[in-house]
Amino acid sequence: MIPTPVLREGDNAFERTLNILDMIYKFPDHISDEEVEGVANYVNPDIRNTVLGLFEIGSARDLEVLFVKKVIDILREAQRAKAEGKKVVFVPFTFPPEIIFAFENLFPVCTEVIAGLAVNVLAGQGERFWDFAMGIGLPDSLCTANTMTVGSFLMGPGLKPDAIVSNSPGSCNPNAKIHAFAADYLGIPQFILEKPVDDSERGRELYHKYLCDLIKNLEEFAGEELSEQRLREVVLKSSRAADLYNEFWELRKARPCPVHNIFNANILFLRSQLWGRDEAIELLGKMVDISKERLRTGEYTAPKEIARVYVSYIFALFDLHGFFPWMEKRGISILGDILAIHFFPPVDTSSKESMLRWLSEVTFDYPMTRQMGASEISLKWLEDISFAVKDLGADCCVYIGHHACKHTAGSLSFLRRELMKQTKVPTLTLVGDSFDKRHTPMSIIQEEIELFVDKVVSKRKGPKRRKKASTPG
Amino acid sequence: MSVSLGVQEQAAILTDYVVDWKDRGGKVLAYTCVSMPIEIIEAAGLLPYRLKALGHPDTYLADGELSPLNCSFCRSCLQLGMDGTYNFLDGIIESNGCDHMRVMFENWRRVNEPGFFHYLKVPHFFGEDSLEYFEGELELLKEAICEHFSVEVSDADLTAAMERQQEVRRMFRELCSLRRRERPAVNGSEVLALTINGSSMRSEDFLEVLSGVVEEREGAPGETPRARLMLCGAATDEVKWFEEIERMGGLIVADAQCFGARAFCQDYDTGGDPLRVLAESYLANLFCPRMYTEYDKRRDFILQTARRANVEGVIVLYNKFCDLHGVDAVLLRRDLAEEGIPVLILEKEYSARADIGRVKTRIQAFMERIGGGA
Repeated sequence: MIPTPVLREGDNAFERTLNILDMIYKFPDHISDEEVEGVANYVNPDIRNTVLGLFEIGSARDLEVLFVKKVIDILREAQRAKAEGKKVVFVPFTFPPEIIFAFENLFPVCTEVIAGLAVNVLAGQGERFWDFAMGIGLPDSLCTANTMTVGSFLMGPGLKPDAIVSNSPGSCNPNAKIHAFAADYLGIPQFILEKPVDDSERGRELYHKYLCDLIKNLEEFAGEELSEQRLREVVLKSSRAADLYNEFWELRKARPCPVHNIFNANILFLRSQLWGRDEAIELLGKMVDISKERLRTGEYTAPKEIARVYVSYIFALFDLHGFFPWMEKRGISILGDILAIHFFPPVDTSSKESMLRWLSEVTFDYPMTRQMGASEISLKWLEDISFAVKDLGADCCVYIGHHACKHTAGSLSFLRRELMKQTKVPTLTLVGDSFDKRHTPMSIIQEEIELFVDKVVSKRKGPKRRKKASTPG
Repeated sequence: MSVSLGVQEQAAILTDYVVDWKDRGGKVLAYTCVSMPIEIIEAAGLLPYRLKALGHPDTYLADGELSPLNCSFCRSCLQLGMDGTYNFLDGIIESNGCDHMRVMFENWRRVNEPGFFHYLKVPHFFGEDSLEYFEGELELLKEAICEHFSVEVSDADLTAAMERQQEVRRMFRELCSLRRRERPAVNGSEVLALTINGSSMRSEDFLEVLSGVVEEREGAPGETPRARLMLCGAATDEVKWFEEIERMGGLIVADAQCFGARAFCQDYDTGGDPLRVLAESYLANLFCPRMYTEYDKRRDFILQTARRANVEGVIVLYNKFCDLHGVDAVLLRRDLAEEGIPVLILEKEYSARADIGRVKTRIQAFMERIGGGA
């Protein structure tokens, strides 16, 4: 029996999104174009772009229906876990959730996932949560994702976290501060995992000690010792997902790119919330299969692939349709963003210590932590984007600035210049925000991308025109 | 030495003191943050120089590298690094104070690589592992300085430098006690100007200046201010801001500023391994919002300082885009208000004189609220 959505003014982002998403549980596994159109017309205009973003493109649709059902499942599971006495731990999207899943008595919920859902599922796109946070005096230069989530939990009743894990200290001032603020305001413990700005062995060793301290603190908080067997199960699943991810990365190299643009958003969710669980393996496996089949048949959504874009920071996530399928239908393949650059070392599950070492390596080199917590931010960022651009054969980059990310804002001039030198790839710089459309609306982002692809990227790809000789005489 | 003559006129990037030091063959090593144990620089026979911008308004070169979303204090510093103003430095020590600062240095080095550069990596909390790491960092710093400047630094050199710094801190506390009086004998702008100037001096010379000022002002009658204020917040080296506030009748009788009292919080016994003592003292007394699990410690420090100085209101001043101070300010306002101390949060643009009218209006309103209005 599916509960009837009850929308209360005071409900926070978690409950409201869940109630609305429950509608999709009623969907059959296969839905037609007409049904998608019908749903898009039925829902609030703010959610219409989410419905179309997920379900418009036919060959991705079944997967997306399954995906949303898995999203609902995990959110419901978080609610149940809380009701059963487990402790809900908030983690940022730069922290591997599998570490929390390894505990019997803890359950992770990713803060950026909540913000992403609020922005894509709620009428008003979560803006009131941001506005509330501003109302209590927080600075407007904070990260919208984390601040919206915190705003929602400060505003109303609903699922409250029992603790916050923050691995932002060392790599991100705004998030580290908002996590600390939320813990203080809600009166819950905060466990930190600092990233030393030190890429040497000394830095890695310190980080490993910090991770072990974090585990000890979590053990005390959870009232259980981290079981080696449970850790092994989670690590093996995480490693299996990593293998599939690496396969996925290889598929992106094909021309035209057989991977649907919207899959980038799916993977971001999987890595942030479901890694270390069967659902991540199942969904990744299906996405790989779909992409392989498209590669085999040569299927591509547009008549021609006209540009291969690497997003050098993060996607605009407030309008899934306006960003992902919109580009796909125009022959612009999105190959990834900074959060897609994972380095998974080979796993050694022989002992608890070896698995913790592995997790410490994974976390140290986690996207965003690795670059923004590096000894030199701009060099590491350049190194990784340059690698992705060359490896995947991107022919342009798009940077969509996020007002909270002061390190990328202050390194972008260098990145753009050096990327052009090293890879001959131009960068389009856009001022915008991933979660808040009020910074730059999608129509402007689209206009700029279209112009950039038309006037810069396509022309560079075309045959070089020979200069005409001047007329003799 | 008179405070007004001896300090404010010399508050420049390149002071006569620094010129004189350089003329005599001395080397100048810059640093940025209160987390830097300047005793190590002093023990190496160098002049520790804290980077500052002194309200420098131009950022046209820096804006090509940094963005308008980066704090304008960092943009001003970078401007001075790019336009050659800071070419008199023989080296720079970076520390990871904040995200803005980190990218500022990366850009600086690309445009104008200093003769010596070292990155001192400072942990973001105090703990056994972080302390051990920080001690190792200080050892690496010492080795790098010795190698580059061809000097030797013995434990005895370090201990001597530490004893001098302790004297400076003791004298600074004396100065603060004059400021805390019912009729303060020295005001906030004078103290800030002094500490800014002192951040470009050797400790023995700064101690002489401080002692002179304390001696000169000790017997001064002072005046009863209309309002007793405390100033907290980010790196503010704009003496003019302090002057504007005090011109409106509020006297800054205490502070927890980065260029002010927070730079003098370290305290130690000079026995034991010097680097260990320095590591412990600097990391444990870093009352900066960059220390992530230590808000309670900062709040208590501010509360204690405010009570001791019998302040009527606290102004939290920080530059736009400073998330570290911006978030702490909200908690501080809540907690200080609970203790009966009103708080004014002032977010401002660094060096923007256009901002002054708006800020003055807010300060006037705050003064009226706390009963110090004209």
